[in-house]
Amino acid sequence: MKLGQAFKMAVKSILAKKGRSFLTMLGIIIGIASVMTIVATVDGYNRKMMEAFEAQGTNKITVSLSLNSGESGFKKIYDYCMGIEEAIGVTPSAEMEGTIKYGAKTSDTMEWKDRPRVVLGSDQYSLCSSFTVARGRDLCSLDIEKYRQVCVLGARAAKTMFDYADPLYQNLMINGVPFQVVGVYAEKDANSGYSMDSVVVLPYTATRFLPNADNGNSGECVVKVRDSQSINKVLTSLQAYIDSLTQNGERGWGYAWSEQQWQEESNSMLTMISVVLGGIAGISLLVGGIGIMNIMLVTVTERTREIGIRRAIGAERSSIVTQFLVESAMICGVGGIIGIVIGYGGTNLAGKVLFEGMSLYPSPTITLEAFAFSVSLGILFGMYPAIKASGLQPVVALRSE
Amino acid sequence: MLITLKDVYKIYGEGLESEVRALDGVSLDIDYGEFVAIAGQSGSGKSTMMNVLGCLDIPTYGDYFLAGKDVSELSDKQLSHIRNKQIGFIFQGYNLIASLNAVENVELPLIYQGVSPFDRRDMAMEALERVGLAGRAKHLPSEMSGGQQQRVAIARAIAAHPPIIMADEPTGALDSKTGQEVLGFLQQLNREGSTILLITHDNGIAATAKRIVRLSDGRIIEDHAQEVDWT
Ligand SMILES: Nc1ncnc2c1ncn2[C@@H]1O[C@H](COP(=O)(O)OP(=O)(O)O)[C@@H](O)[C@H]1O
Ligand SMILES: [Mg+2]
Repeated sequence: MKLGQAFKMAVKSILAKKGRSFLTMLGIIIGIASVMTIVATVDGYNRKMMEAFEAQGTNKITVSLSLNSGESGFKKIYDYCMGIEEAIGVTPSAEMEGTIKYGAKTSDTMEWKDRPRVVLGSDQYSLCSSFTVARGRDLCSLDIEKYRQVCVLGARAAKTMFDYADPLYQNLMINGVPFQVVGVYAEKDANSGYSMDSVVVLPYTATRFLPNADNGNSGECVVKVRDSQSINKVLTSLQAYIDSLTQNGERGWGYAWSEQQWQEESNSMLTMISVVLGGIAGISLLVGGIGIMNIMLVTVTERTREIGIRRAIGAERSSIVTQFLVESAMICGVGGIIGIVIGYGGTNLAGKVLFEGMSLYPSPTITLEAFAFSVSLGILFGMYPAIKASGLQPVVALRSE
Repeated sequence: MLITLKDVYKIYGEGLESEVRALDGVSLDIDYGEFVAIAGQSGSGKSTMMNVLGCLDIPTYGDYFLAGKDVSELSDKQLSHIRNKQIGFIFQGYNLIASLNAVENVELPLIYQGVSPFDRRDMAMEALERVGLAGRAKHLPSEMSGGQQQRVAIARAIAAHPPIIMADEPTGALDSKTGQEVLGFLQQLNREGSTILLITHDNGIAATAKRIVRLSDGRIIEDHAQEVDWT
């Protein structure tokens, strides 16, 4: 017997008992919907966090080093990183209080969320923060060495200060000192409120002209690492270096840390939670599966005579097995589809309620897995009734009433 | 020989006080193209014999050769194929599937032969036409009279053109006119070359067969051939 035929037979038999089929599906529907909601919510949240995290630039180590001797912490770190193969970029990342003016516009009077931020960086700032230059040029090492009064703007800072005017080669007044705009970075993070794109990046050596500014000795800086596997190695050696310089706090103060570490921990926490909750929901699937088995056993008993007729007329055992397996797989598959639809709604709702209106949807992989899982459940729990049906002796089955 | 039974027993509850010997040492040869009536009173073992001959049941003792093959050595799958392709069954009490309409019931053996849906429908309709029920193809068994259901069962038995037809009391539930029609039908199939086994408790019907085998308490008490006039 061909599989297509078994499908037709299953559709017919399921439709012949709609109410019962639906009640049987209910266990699967509830199980799949809840497992899907839990797994997809955690998975979706993780993905969103990952995206946000990646927008800020991955494979970064933040270092802070301040020495009692008054030497520049950044310089020490910079020199040390030159000797580490995996460290591909270093930049200070100190933010500075500053009033930015262009024409009649001044950052002091702006709303906090629009206000551009003054950042002191090196020529590797864009590399470390994953910016790309959209117009003009990036900071270069000569800008740093020659104390040039130039700056590069984040996309949002450029928009706020210049609107439709061309910012290139205009002068911005920062704390009363002119800086010429030489480049604009491409927009990175259009949605976030406190935008990465609001930066105004100056060569860190420009502190020479900015009397109030921190002279860069705070040593707050970012080290870009080649790949995520290298993070721990670089982190450990940096930490050891800092400890050797500060003599455990006697000669200064410093630390090195990576957001990636924190991210990985938080990911594994969430995964743990999803495993536990998913396991609990999985029990309801097990119960649903047993319900399927129960109903299939009843069906087999009710249809003993039909099975006898089919066997007498020439159905092989395997044809009978196929017939009942396809039927239970179809009940579970349809239940699974309904459960998946509800799971989509559930995931979306969970995102809205639990994560401040985050729009979450199950990934295609999870959707496919949920469907495959429900069908396998039908096959698994339909196996015993189907084999039982096929084992009936034709004469015995024919004689049953 | 098409069918050879050698000292076949079918014993229910062997060794118990309630032991029933439904077949009690039966030996029988049936050749290709015969029309054999298996006669006997109710409970004499006729249906048991048909179940054994039709590979639906296994004898307790004894050998059964079908077309020279020892049936006890065949696998369940091979037996299924024999029932599917070589034998057309007309059961006592029709045995139609209640949820399927007439033409779907007739299609059943063809489904398990893997005949394509179009050919299947054609062959099933042809069989229904032969029994004069083409007009009732879409009716469920519950919407038909006993005689009509019996004819659907016949159509199902002949749809795949099997060389052997086994009919268990095919006229039992019918009035004599319809019964005559069914008999005429089996005679026609025999003329076309099919081997027919007709099981009946009715001596009048048995008398129309080319050969009569009479059972009593699981034993053959009479076996004789006769000239028939089937016009
Ligand atoms: N499954 C069974 N268990 C016990 N006894 C049976 C069974 N099937 C048939 N019999 C007995 O075997 C004998 C022959 O039955 P059967 O072949 O149906 O007779 P017939 O078809 O000639 O009326 C009867 O006595 C019947 O009661
Ligand atoms: Mg009988």
